[in-house]
Amino acid sequence: MTSQKLTIVLLLVLMTSLFSVGLFSGPADLSMADQWLALRNGEGVAGTILWQLRLPRLCMAVLSGAALAMSGMLMQTYFRNPLAGPSVLGVTSGATLGVALVSLGGLAIGVPWGLSGSVSGALLGSWAVMLILGAVVGLFRSRTALLIFGLMVGYLTGAMVTVLQAGAEAGALQAFVVWGMGSFAQATWTGVMTLGMAFAIGAVWCFRWCHVLDMWTLGKLTALSMGVNERRLTWGLLGWTGALAGLVTAWCGPIAFLGLATPHLVRIMVPKSRHIDWVLPVVLTGSVLALMSDLIVRFVGIPLNAVLSIMGAPVVLWLLLRRSPGNSSSVKA
Amino acid sequence: MALEIKGLQLIRPAGEGGELNATIEAGSAVVVVGRNGTGKSTLLQTLAGLLPPKKGQVLWDGQDVRLMGPEMRASCMAVVASTPPRESRMTVSDVIELGLRAGGHMHDLQAVRMAMETAGIDHWSQLPLSALSDGMAQRVMMARAAAQGKGMLLLDEPTAFLDVVGRREVLSQMGDWRSEGRILWLATHDLEGVEAAGWSTHWLHLHPGRKQGGTFHKGPFVAEKARQALVLDPNPKERA
Repeated sequence: MTSQKLTIVLLLVLMTSLFSVGLFSGPADLSMADQWLALRNGEGVAGTILWQLRLPRLCMAVLSGAALAMSGMLMQTYFRNPLAGPSVLGVTSGATLGVALVSLGGLAIGVPWGLSGSVSGALLGSWAVMLILGAVVGLFRSRTALLIFGLMVGYLTGAMVTVLQAGAEAGALQAFVVWGMGSFAQATWTGVMTLGMAFAIGAVWCFRWCHVLDMWTLGKLTALSMGVNERRLTWGLLGWTGALAGLVTAWCGPIAFLGLATPHLVRIMVPKSRHIDWVLPVVLTGSVLALMSDLIVRFVGIPLNAVLSIMGAPVVLWLLLRRSPGNSSSVKA
Repeated sequence: MALEIKGLQLIRPAGEGGELNATIEAGSAVVVVGRNGTGKSTLLQTLAGLLPPKKGQVLWDGQDVRLMGPEMRASCMAVVASTPPRESRMTVSDVIELGLRAGGHMHDLQAVRMAMETAGIDHWSQLPLSALSDGMAQRVMMARAAAQGKGMLLLDEPTAFLDVVGRREVLSQMGDWRSEGRILWLATHDLEGVEAAGWSTHWLHLHPGRKQGGTFHKGPFVAEKARQALVLDPNPKERA
C-alpha cells in the first residue's frame, strides 16, 4: 500500500471514530443501548437528540470542513499564494456582510430554491468578492498585494457590519453576534442537504479540472501555451469556491483558518503530488479538523472560531517563518 | 509545415512598430535579438497565438493561430518561459505526462518514459520540480514543451537564469529539436552562446521604431554582426 493510500485510510478511520464519539456522547444522560435503538427507530427523546441535534450537526461539520479545505486548496493553487483562503481573501467577510444586510438591515432579497434570506445574502456576498477578485487579479503585482486586498475587504465589510449593528434591534443583534462566533450547532437537514449537493457538484468540478490545476502550477504563460482556458478556469474556480464558502458561512458563521491551514497540513502528509492525488486527503483532513474542533467546542465550551484560531494561527506563523524558495516574498504572484 | 507572418504589428511596445513579414519553413531555427523593451516576448507570445496582434496575421499551415482551438494549438506549438516554475510539487514524470496530455498525445507510462529518455532527463523522473536546480528545472520544462508541441517551439530567454553548464546543455538540446524538423524560435541576449551552439538558420533583429519592425537575416547567427546592429539602436528611453 502506498503512503498516500495509507494516509487516506487513516483519515477515514479517524473521521469515523470522531463522528461516532460525537454521535454517542453528550450532556444528556442516555445509555448506549437506548442511543443505538433510537438511532435505528428515531423515537423518543433520544431519537430527537440523535436525529435532530447531533446528526445534522456532525454532518454539517464534516461537509463544512471538506468544503472549506477544498476552497482553500483551490484558491492557493489559483492565486499561487500559500496564504490564500476564503477567510484571508475577504470571501467570508463578503458573505458576512450579506448575512448582516439581510438579518440586521432587513434587506429583502429574492429567495431562490427555498433557501432562507440569509443564505442568499451570504452567497451573493461571497460571489461579489469573488467577482471583484476575478476582475482585478491580473493587476496585482505581488502576492502581498492580494493579501492586502483581502485585508481591506475585511475592514470595509467590517465597517459596514458595524453600522448595521448600531441600528439593529437587540434580538437580531444578539443572534448575529452568536452566529459570528461560528458553530455547527445551528445545522438543519435542509442546510446539510443544500451544502451536500453544492459540495458534490464542486468536488466533481474539482476532479475534472485536476490536470488543468496541475498545468496552472507551472506558471501562467506555460499553462496558457498548454491550452488552458484561463477564463473558464477563473470563473469556474471562483464560482465554486465562492458558493461553498458562502454556504458554509450562512449556516455556521464566518469560520476562520480551516480553508487556509488544511492544505498545508496535507502537504506535510502527502509531500509530492498532483492535484488528483491530494484532493481527497485535503477534503478528509478538513472534515477531521472540523469534527475535532466541534468536539472541543462541545466539551470545553469555547466558541468554534476561538478553537480554530488557537489551532490555526500557529500554522500561519510557522508558514511565514519557514524559509524556502516557495514562499519568499520576492517571488511574483 | 510552415509559419507565415503577414504584415504583423505587435500590441507592445505601444504606439510604434513597423510590420514584420516572413515565411519560416520546417526545420528552421530563428534567433530573435533586440534591446530591452523591443517586444521579443510579445513577438513570441503573438506567434504562439497567446496574444492578439495589433495588425496582421500569423498563419500556421495556412490557419490563423488566433482562430485555432486551444487544444489544437497546444499540440502544434509550445512556449518555454524564462523562469522555470519552482513551486510545483509535481515530479518530473508528472510534468512530462502533462505535456503529452496537453498536446493530445498518448500519455501512458511508456510514452512518458520515452519522452524523458529523448530529453535525457529520465534519471530524475521521480524527483519533484522543487528539488531541482534552475538549470535542471528548465531542461524539464523544455522536455515538457518538446513532448507537447510537435511543430514549433518558442523559447523566451530560457537560459537567462542558468549557469554556464546549464546554458550549454539547454542550447545543445535545441539543436536536436531542429534536426527533428521542428521550427524553433529563441529570444535571447546570450549572443556568444547561440553562435557557439551553431544550429540557427535565421536571425531576427527587432527594432520597432523603424519602417520595418525588424530585419530578418538568413544564415547562421553571428554574434559580432548582431552586436554591431544592436549598438546602433536607440536606448529604450530615447525611443519612448
